[in-house]
Amino acid sequence: MFKIFFLKELGDAFKRPMVYIFMFVIALLVFFAVVSDSVQIGGSVGNVNRNAPYIITTFVTVMSIFGLLIAAAFFNNAALRDYSHNFNEILFSSPINKGGYFFGRFFGALILACMPLIGVFIGMLVGSWAGVLFGWVEAKDIGPFYLETFVNNFLLFILPNMFLAGAITFALANKFKSTVISFIGVIVVMVGYIISGTLLSDIENQTIAALSDPFGTRAYTVVTQYFTPVEKNTLSPMLEGLLLQNRLIYVSIGIAILLLSYFTFSFAEKQSSKKKTEKVKKESNTSFSLPVIHQVFNTNTAWQQFRSFFRVDFISIVKSTTFRILFFFTLVMIMGELSQGFEYFGLQSYPVTYKMVDVIAGNASIFVIIIIVFFSGELVWRDRENKISEVIDASPFNSLPSLFAKTLALFCVTLSLYVFGVLIGVVYQLIQGYSNIEFGVYFGAFFYQYLALYAVTSAMLVFIQVVVNNKYLGYFVSVLYLFLIDLILLFLKVDSNLLSIGSTPTMIYSDMNGFGPASEAVLWFNVNWILFGVLLLMISGLLLKRGQVGGRKETWAIAKRNFKGTFAKSFYIVLVLWLAVVSFVFYNIHVLNKTPSSDAREKLAADYEKNYKKYQKIAQPKLLTANYEIDIFPEKRDVIANVAVSLINTTDQAIDSLHFTVDKNWNHKIDIVGSELVLNDEKIGYQIYRLSKSMMPGDTLLASVSAAYISKGFENEVSNTSVIRNGTFLNNFQILPGLGYSEGGELGDNDTRKKYDLPDKERTPKLIADCGPACDNNYLTDGKSDWVELETVISTSSDQIAIAPGSLIEEWEKDGRKYFRYSVDHPSQNFYAFISADYQVAKRDWNGISLEVYYDDKHEVNVEKMLDALQKSMKYYTENFGPYYHKQARIIEFPRYATFAQAFPGTMPYSEAFGFIINLENEDKNNVVDAVIAHEMGHQWWAHQEVSANMQGGTMLTESFSEYSSLMVMSEETSPLKMKDFVKYDMNRYLSGRSSETVKELPLYKVENQGYIHYGKGSVILYALQDYIGKEKVNNALRNFLDEYRYSTPYPTSLDFLRYLEPEVPDSLKYLIDDWFKEITLYDNRLTNASVETLASGKFKVTMDIVAYKIKADTVGNETRVDLNDWIDIGIYADAEESDLILEKRVKFKESNFQLTFEVDRQPLKAAIDPRRILIERVYTDNVKRLEE
Amino acid sequence: MAQLKISNLSKTYPNGVKALDDVSLEINNGMFGLLGPNGAGKSSLMRTLASLQEADSGSAFLNDLDILNNPKELRRTLGYLPQEFGVYPRITASQLLDHMAILKGVTNTKERKELVKYLLNKVNLYKQRDKSVKSFSGGMKQRVGIAQALIGDPQLIIVDEPTAGLDPGERNRFHNLLAEVGEEVIVILSTHIVDDVQELCTDMAIMNLGRIVYNGSPLTVLDDLAGMVWQRQIEKGELQEYEANFRVISNKMVAGKPQIHVLSESNPGEGFVGVQPNLEDVFFAKIGVSETVTS
Repeated sequence: MFKIFFLKELGDAFKRPMVYIFMFVIALLVFFAVVSDSVQIGGSVGNVNRNAPYIITTFVTVMSIFGLLIAAAFFNNAALRDYSHNFNEILFSSPINKGGYFFGRFFGALILACMPLIGVFIGMLVGSWAGVLFGWVEAKDIGPFYLETFVNNFLLFILPNMFLAGAITFALANKFKSTVISFIGVIVVMVGYIISGTLLSDIENQTIAALSDPFGTRAYTVVTQYFTPVEKNTLSPMLEGLLLQNRLIYVSIGIAILLLSYFTFSFAEKQSSKKKTEKVKKESNTSFSLPVIHQVFNTNTAWQQFRSFFRVDFISIVKSTTFRILFFFTLVMIMGELSQGFEYFGLQSYPVTYKMVDVIAGNASIFVIIIIVFFSGELVWRDRENKISEVIDASPFNSLPSLFAKTLALFCVTLSLYVFGVLIGVVYQLIQGYSNIEFGVYFGAFFYQYLALYAVTSAMLVFIQVVVNNKYLGYFVSVLYLFLIDLILLFLKVDSNLLSIGSTPTMIYSDMNGFGPASEAVLWFNVNWILFGVLLLMISGLLLKRGQVGGRKETWAIAKRNFKGTFAKSFYIVLVLWLAVVSFVFYNIHVLNKTPSSDAREKLAADYEKNYKKYQKIAQPKLLTANYEIDIFPEKRDVIANVAVSLINTTDQAIDSLHFTVDKNWNHKIDIVGSELVLNDEKIGYQIYRLSKSMMPGDTLLASVSAAYISKGFENEVSNTSVIRNGTFLNNFQILPGLGYSEGGELGDNDTRKKYDLPDKERTPKLIADCGPACDNNYLTDGKSDWVELETVISTSSDQIAIAPGSLIEEWEKDGRKYFRYSVDHPSQNFYAFISADYQVAKRDWNGISLEVYYDDKHEVNVEKMLDALQKSMKYYTENFGPYYHKQARIIEFPRYATFAQAFPGTMPYSEAFGFIINLENEDKNNVVDAVIAHEMGHQWWAHQEVSANMQGGTMLTESFSEYSSLMVMSEETSPLKMKDFVKYDMNRYLSGRSSETVKELPLYKVENQGYIHYGKGSVILYALQDYIGKEKVNNALRNFLDEYRYSTPYPTSLDFLRYLEPEVPDSLKYLIDDWFKEITLYDNRLTNASVETLASGKFKVTMDIVAYKIKADTVGNETRVDLNDWIDIGIYADAEESDLILEKRVKFKESNFQLTFEVDRQPLKAAIDPRRILIERVYTDNVKRLEE
Repeated sequence: MAQLKISNLSKTYPNGVKALDDVSLEINNGMFGLLGPNGAGKSSLMRTLASLQEADSGSAFLNDLDILNNPKELRRTLGYLPQEFGVYPRITASQLLDHMAILKGVTNTKERKELVKYLLNKVNLYKQRDKSVKSFSGGMKQRVGIAQALIGDPQLIIVDEPTAGLDPGERNRFHNLLAEVGEEVIVILSTHIVDDVQELCTDMAIMNLGRIVYNGSPLTVLDDLAGMVWQRQIEKGELQEYEANFRVISNKMVAGKPQIHVLSESNPGEGFVGVQPNLEDVFFAKIGVSETVTS
């Protein structure tokens, strides 16, 4: 009996297209993810193979979400099919076996539900094979497949997840006999998933997060979080540890639910509750007489009919259960994401409106798509499905208003979703105590970015349903249209927003610059799409079948017959209008502002290298001084600059010609007295001027440069966010052409280089001991300049302040514009910015230095704290590292088109998204603003007083030192134990960074500009070092090192710093320099047992069993264990929160397995190895244990 | 006086079935019955007249209006109740009729409200006007159907198989409604239920396999067959023998035994009784198929 139902269930479903369609769609998505970078499903990075077991597992777990919805459909169907076809009474009165029926149906559906996810394997296999075959993917990026990966994924994820989803759906469907309720059950499961996601983002509750994820995704993430590329490429998910526990829990829950459902299932129908018979109101017999009516058929009628259609259609959507579920679900997703907050470093950002918009739109978008696809079919087919179409179609109305009404209904549905999202956003803002509700931003964002998109998409979907004339095929085409077209365009690397219906240039809202430079473009695109949508609807109106049974020929004949009169006239008018707008847009984005495709840009870079690299090593002068005259016109987005420069020949050869790399966008023009332009490659941008009189060694030469950025019309995508209405931010290297050949202009990625037959490039020149002339170039300016003197006269519109490096000498107004003169206090690196915006300024004097913050008037809240941070850092650094040579230290806010903070001489630009809106009200917590400001201030010493040679290990001398300095400033006000909370972010950055390494990892002293090493590892190591040898010693080394290399050439290397560090380290700890700086060392300490015994003396004896390993890793993550002979801290806590240390001792670990005993005076509760977590260890949770009696 | 003149209407479906085969009719005011078995082509004809289906050839004129080429004008004066009349879910009777009235051009809100109330009252659904139509019984839905067909004082009302599935009480009520419809209006009632035509129609046609096999008044057609219909009750096993020897036009079960009607110029023989022909006899005679009517 079981077999009968089981096989029947399978047989039926395999005949229906749903299984295959879902499998196909999933396989397709995975195929694209493997083969290109257009689809990101948490894909492979760097050394991780595109088909690595880790990647396959990630895809399976991510796709499980879709799999869930699919499963819900199958199980629902299995449970309710007999009811929905009214077969249940016949079936259940036959002698069938309850168990056979119940489990037969269930397991049949289970097999089916697993099928779509098999699509992941198919997509992966086909993608890997085809990708290599057609050259879309490098062969080296595809590794071996392990059968174990597929089997384990099926058994660990696909089967249990579908089982759980199925058990819930099946149980609910059988109990309530309602599709709606069983879908809600699925939603509850998905909400559980979101919640566990929230918990994971703060890296404390990992075990709880891992176990609370019904799909096992989080458990897998936790288990693999510190995997190296090698591990990701070879290890399949195993049934052990957290993963096993998680699976056991949820499979058990599934079994329990299923059994419960089985035992409460019965073939007999429950007595459906009778509705109370309503008392029929006794109405007095009113008599009605036939009213006089007028039938009117004019434009007003059409308008009324439109309104009536709209009302009926819109209400039909709003009242439908499917809509309500999807609506509810969207709101849940929005609330879920909002409740996570906007975290960084454990802090929350203020809920500013544009962040709300991002959350609302981001969560709503997928559901908006589902809703309008689903209801486009529903609306177009509604009359036919309700069998009222013949009556309706025989009534005297025009098809067009009815189609417009349907489109408008769809659009209004999306609008209502958005409006509710806004309401939630506003409520959330108010709850968080943030009262600056900017409705203009909420609705401006919708108007600019979503209005045309939703409107034209609705029109398009209606059009598809009308033309395809088959509801399910129409759905299929709609999905293809929505997802695949964009994928295909991406794959073909076609950029134009005109080709993707509804697409507009990306717009980022900034509190400083409003809707930004894209707003004009977006407006025109919106007009374009709306007109296009109208055209589509007009065509649909012609093609809409009204009752007729005939085929395509008949539809065409009728369409031709109806294309006359006012309809034809209006059609032509709209067509002409649309063509006009499209041409105007095309002209702007492809003629006025031609943007070369990414392939074209790559080719240019390759040609640059092929033609001009030969000039890389020729003698060229360096920049010595620069006098800027810059005029900024923010309203027009124009910048005009004239720079008088002096160049100096620091080489020992004569220089007879000057080479320049010029930027077309800036119209560079160079004027050198006594020179002749002998080469002008306009396409690539390279110029050579021959000097009539050569520059001898030591000679200087004057030149003048002009640059102009003039913006015209609007662009397909905003290419320049440097010159904008409020928040102009120009770098010197935009205004000045490059001196000589610039290696930065080459293609960086070795895979891309191979495409153009270019040899592999070293990421950074190798570290050598006696560097000689190699150390005359630093990594910031690469030999084009050393310490430069600057003066600037900069002008801008009268409502803005312009800032250039140096002290403000003079300020004046002329012709309604403001002028400023700045002069740098000390020659500095040629690496700075010019900024102009409508700023408020806060200033504070500290020992003759002006601490300044330039901010947007909406972002005042943290300014005082920023000044405090500046002051704290300034104090620590001047006391410990040396003097500060500028007369000002400025923090300058810039718009959120980029999120970073940076250090220039005396100036630190700071993104609006990155500290100005962080909620610092709870001062107990980690203060990221302090940390970042301290870091950037640190750069004033480490990068702007001393900067490293262009070599491996260079960034250690700038970034690691600055990050270390920042930690030290924090530590002035924080206990060593609490510092653990700060250090853990850097530690984590290193550990997770190394598993995303794309080339190879390197030891700290040879770091090749790898962020996770120079920020993460560097700061942790220096901090740990000062913990071991004392902060005075480390600071001594830094200070003495700085004394030698301050403001001088040649530039230092990491070896030079180590020269200063070694004398400060006692012999017993000298091994730390090798382990930590020169090699990649990891620790693996485990506290296997810890117990306490109360002694007769009243003291307590603590015994700890320790297993310890020291590991050396190579550049790709292969590890070897080495012998231990290291000093490591032991800590004993009195409290569970690990804040009260009774004992802390540094102990020598000489073996891998040993025992330690300690005696303490107070009752101890926990013990830990490395209590302050300063050693680099992947798994720290096994270092701490509660003491057993 | 309204007149609907249908000339040589033909339609062949892509699968070769001739739905309409050179149909010509002249229909005047009053109730016109179109009788025929299932699949005769009645619905095709109805849908073509209602502007929902294209004809391959032929023409149809409502007075001076060429209705096949001017569907928009026709729809303004058409009331149509199709064979399958469904309703939207989650909408009340009033709301549905209101929507239909707007579609039919009754743009004045006050007029429309009055009209809806009047119509609902006329079809005896006024008390249920605010209930969801989806919950109505079959008969109630049909009444809503006729109510919407009456909106706008149409000149041509087409009603396709309206009483199939109604209980006797509902059927009677429906007939009364139709009978009340104005005398100046053409009502075409298409059905396979002979009694309906007999009760209601002043003029009729019989259709089979896409062709009109009879066109005239129900009374005259009875005269055609006067004295030619003979009735006899037989035993169950004897049917085949009789069909072979006589022109059996119908055979019905009466009290468990078959009772046959035979068409013959004179008495066919022993046991046959002459009966007055009824419309059913005409129907079967014209159609030329012997049907077994069993309970």
